[in-house]
Amino acid sequence: MNPGMSGRVIRVMRENPDRADRLTALGVTPGAMVTVLQRFPGVVFLCDHTELAVEPSVARAIVVDVE
Amino acid sequence: MSCAQAAVREPPASPLLTLRARPRRIALVGNANVGKSVLFGRLTGQYAVVSNYPGTTVALTTGRMMLGGEVCELVDTPGVTALDGVLSEDELVARRILDGDRTDVVIQVSDARNLRRALMLTSQLSAFGRPMVLVLNMADEARSHGIVIDAAGLSARLGIPIIETVATEGRGIAELRDAIPRAAVLRVDDPHRGDHARAAHDLAVQFRRHRPRSAARIQEQIGRLVREPLTGLPILALVLYGMYLAVGVFGAQTLVQLIEGGLFKQIINPAATALVNRAVPWAIARDFLVGEYGLITMGLTYAIAIVLPVVATFFFVFGFLEDSGYIPRLAIFSDRIFRTMGLNGKAVLPMVLGLGCDTMATMTTRILGTPKERLIAVLLLALGIPCSAQLATILGILGGVSFAALATLFGVVLTQMFLVGFLAARAIPGERSDFIMELPPLRLPQFGNILRKTLLRVRWYLGEALPLFLIGTGLLFVLSRLGLLTKLTAAAEPVVAGLLGLPRDAAAVFVMGFLRRDYGAAGLFQMSKAGELDGVQAVVALTVMTLFVPCVANFLMMVKEQGLKAALRILGVVTMIALGTGAVLNAVLRGLHVTF
Repeated sequence: MNPGMSGRVIRVMRENPDRADRLTALGVTPGAMVTVLQRFPGVVFLCDHTELAVEPSVARAIVVDVE
Repeated sequence: MSCAQAAVREPPASPLLTLRARPRRIALVGNANVGKSVLFGRLTGQYAVVSNYPGTTVALTTGRMMLGGEVCELVDTPGVTALDGVLSEDELVARRILDGDRTDVVIQVSDARNLRRALMLTSQLSAFGRPMVLVLNMADEARSHGIVIDAAGLSARLGIPIIETVATEGRGIAELRDAIPRAAVLRVDDPHRGDHARAAHDLAVQFRRHRPRSAARIQEQIGRLVREPLTGLPILALVLYGMYLAVGVFGAQTLVQLIEGGLFKQIINPAATALVNRAVPWAIARDFLVGEYGLITMGLTYAIAIVLPVVATFFFVFGFLEDSGYIPRLAIFSDRIFRTMGLNGKAVLPMVLGLGCDTMATMTTRILGTPKERLIAVLLLALGIPCSAQLATILGILGGVSFAALATLFGVVLTQMFLVGFLAARAIPGERSDFIMELPPLRLPQFGNILRKTLLRVRWYLGEALPLFLIGTGLLFVLSRLGLLTKLTAAAEPVVAGLLGLPRDAAAVFVMGFLRRDYGAAGLFQMSKAGELDGVQAVVALTVMTLFVPCVANFLMMVKEQGLKAALRILGVVTMIALGTGAVLNAVLRGLHVTF
């Protein structure tokens, strides 16, 4: 997704279970609204009023339905 | 059920004091950054340090609070992300507190803007079966975000009291106090069977509404400016310059001159010398106190007149950056670079703190995710990050030589750090953790908070560093008396003079430099002022000194964090790299006939 785009989380991939757990605990759960704020130099997005910064491989684990 | 527990279910406003086996224990639980510490302060009348980073509040804060005429114990647990599943050290500690009969009432503090996250934790808390109250803090910010929560409805649904507060302003505290006796065990209707995320989501959807937000918020705009590279990097440059002005100019020059040149040189030291000469009969004791390596004339003077002002200024500036929420944004910029060194953006915190004091920074490496990251961070801190006292001296000496000299030093040190980090990442087994960081809202920090934090850190520094300064000075005294200092210096000379191309006196400086890096740097400063070092020598000497392990205090902290074996290994590696780089640098610069 590009900056400015929004979507709803469908699921968080569980290839890396620790990563998935951390994301879930921070609020990245199915149904949550996500808006991408920036992609470079790091991925920053808004998830339900929480601003989160992650590295690219983590961002790839979040599956979103773009609106 | 014991007598103590039965008493908890009593109705509120009972005029009689309840007899208990021990004071009622109340635990504050919640995510990080929700205002737990501020609430703690409001309830106990004591202030606990407010910090944005998990791991900085590892030690538990306990206090006493008055509740309806009886004294209760209040425990502020570390911020947690979860209480179920794979847990960090902080979270395990929080769990242990909630388990068993260590806690009578749980107050979950949450950020009202993050209801879903809070409810996930609430759902996990139900497993402990403790009577609880849910606090929705930062209610004002939530409202201005357009969030409206049906607290009454949610309270009825969950069966627990829910109180909205603005802890920083003290609003809602009285209501909270009234609610504590009404604390009840969470009513668990669990169609989702332990899927906390689902449960939280459903509840949030049911009890929360969004109103359209009012006009665009300045906070968002500034946030964007800070994290986008086009505007963010210039802002970073400005911030660094500001830090230099505050710490390097005001701290290192103005304050030091005032305290060392004024207070110590003119008042304290002469007075102490006169007093000692009169009161102490033994020459050796006199020398010990006010001689060349005197406890007062050297140890105390260096610690308080030279190092303290610089470090204190640094802590103040750092506190400002911390409270404003800027540091996590820094992490975004540096994440890529850190990842090549086996770390991630989070490491920016200890690294920047290391510019103030490496020892404190080594302690902070605890917040990093994996043992491998912690080891690499400790190694890099010991290797390359100059502490503020040392930075001041570097700038003092090389600033007067030329910009090229300064650039060479920093260039070499940074390259070394990068190289070592890169190699270490490959050589050391283990994983690195993902970079996932929450960005707290940017806000203008409160002066009072920064001051309190700074004082706390300065007090820590005085407690840790001052004794070591004095021990270091004492050791030097003993060494010089036993003639060992000259022997050590003689042994070091071939390396110092031959390999590094420095004047012979520099050997003494290096030996001292291990006991306290700033001694070494200060010693070099004297030499350069006296014209004993030429440009190249200054660069080589300072480069080696920067690459060396900072000081005994840092070494001891390394032992504490990583264990003796690892610390010794780091010491060995760093020493070899420092000397090797110095030798190569010397050869290259001389060979190229470079003059600064």
